[in-house]
Amino acid sequence: MERDVREETGTVIPEGTRYHLPPEAAARLDLQERWRALFASWGYDPVELPVLEVYDPEHPLAARAFKMVDKSGRVLALRAEFTTAVIRMVASEGLGEELHRFQYAGRLWLRDSEIGPGRLREFAQMGVEAVGASGPRLDAELLELAWEALKTADLPDARLEVGLPALVADLLAATELAAGPRSSLHAAIERKNIPELAELLADYGVRGGLRRAVLALPDLYGGIEVLAAARRLELGPAARDDLDWLEEVLALLPPGLEVLLDLGMARAYDYYSGIHFRAYTPDFGLPLLGGGRYDGAGTRYAAGFALGLERILEARGVPRELAAPQVLALDPGTARRLRATGVRVELAWTDDLEELRDYARRRGIARISGPEGEVSP
Amino acid sequence: MNRAGFELTVALPKGRMMADSYAAFSRAGIELPRARGERDLWHSGGGLAVLELRGADVPTYVDLGIADLGVVGRDILLEAGRDLYEPVDLGFGACRLSLIRLPEAVTPVRRIASKYPRFTQSWLRSRGMVADVVKLHGNVELAVLAGLADAVVDVVQTGATLRAAGLVEVEVLARSSARLVVNKSALKLKRDVIRPLIDNLRALAT
Repeated sequence: MERDVREETGTVIPEGTRYHLPPEAAARLDLQERWRALFASWGYDPVELPVLEVYDPEHPLAARAFKMVDKSGRVLALRAEFTTAVIRMVASEGLGEELHRFQYAGRLWLRDSEIGPGRLREFAQMGVEAVGASGPRLDAELLELAWEALKTADLPDARLEVGLPALVADLLAATELAAGPRSSLHAAIERKNIPELAELLADYGVRGGLRRAVLALPDLYGGIEVLAAARRLELGPAARDDLDWLEEVLALLPPGLEVLLDLGMARAYDYYSGIHFRAYTPDFGLPLLGGGRYDGAGTRYAAGFALGLERILEARGVPRELAAPQVLALDPGTARRLRATGVRVELAWTDDLEELRDYARRRGIARISGPEGEVSP
Repeated sequence: MNRAGFELTVALPKGRMMADSYAAFSRAGIELPRARGERDLWHSGGGLAVLELRGADVPTYVDLGIADLGVVGRDILLEAGRDLYEPVDLGFGACRLSLIRLPEAVTPVRRIASKYPRFTQSWLRSRGMVADVVKLHGNVELAVLAGLADAVVDVVQTGATLRAAGLVEVEVLARSSARLVVNKSALKLKRDVIRPLIDNLRALAT
């Protein structure tokens, strides 16, 4: 096979990685800065986490992480997810005893992501975690903050969708089936594959009210009416407690925040201990953020969410050009004086006025200014 | 084409399954727009758009939300491994994915030829078996006859082709039929249109 010319010159970058050039890079920084300020105003303090982690086969994304071997022969992994990293920090620093609100931002790596719009192997997320306390009020806080973050990203039509993996887990536990059959049922629920779910329930001998309740899960999506439909099912005490919790969370949401519900949303149902939520925006097929409550997954109480920076910018669109500086200054003194008044100024690098005029025209700079005042552009 | 102008974008596989899909949608109360000419890549009308695709591309278009929903055989879904909703078994296009060998073959399987390498690998793993999988694009049965592989995993409809080639279906690995697949975001944000469609298609399928 012929070698790619870019490989010869060393200018190739790995599949699923990208250069972010000025208009996009500026948009990325601007958005992260606005989210940082928003989270800070809600009391979330920044933390920084290592990109290199010790490889752990129990990590939820262990199989998909990039791995490498360090000088001692120990296997390391590149950070593939933030929540686990934050929870480990909380456990190792002994921060789980009282309520802490943290925010984080940075890059993540996945070895095998299907590459496509909004799907890369190197990508960035920003998010928050509230650890050390639990309750519907904190869940409602996180939902409202996620909603604010979407508005901050200029996505006013985005909708939050809330699921209750704890309910799915409690119903599956009530079947008293072994782990294998349980995970087959889970996969069918997650894909809303009713024909297969009915077949599996028959094969496993799940009957009566429990069968009806499990079979109803995939279709329990929509607006608030879904809660009433769920209440009509024959549910055990654990499942009823889950619904009570969700109802309390929803009652605490501010006016205007109308979430979608999907009680059949069961991804990682053995991980989330309560709610799980995502966000969607019209005409964009991938979720923009994801979060939930995972009490007991490494620390006693934890909940949070992470925003996908590339996806949100893809859904919203990135400006094609950056606004040019307003003035090209001919000398440092003029540049300093103008900058002090809040004007964006570039400094001339030559005395050749013709070249400077040319440059200003190409760059879209409207004014050229020197010690004797304005120069005609 | 600009998708934003359409209420619903539907991805359909070319060929027989496409005709069956038009008929099923029509019985469910949705008249999909027809092709205007042979070279039409996509068809639109009445707020709907139809994308005519290779079957194996349907899961990609739906997963990425380029199409809101689509129709595709379960065999292709098993191979694609994409994260989609699969709410309706449409019933048509029934077939099975089977392990096929020469009648006299008794040795352990060491090399399998298939158009479904990913599915075949995961089936091997679930059985604790180890074999090489060779990806082929067509006439897979020939691989056994010509000695490229000692077994193939392929779609079987009636079994007539196999019998004519002197091969036997050793084991059925999965059953397949056409499925309605829906993008995760579209099911929720366009549920006013998609939910009644699912209900109607389900009522017809039973």
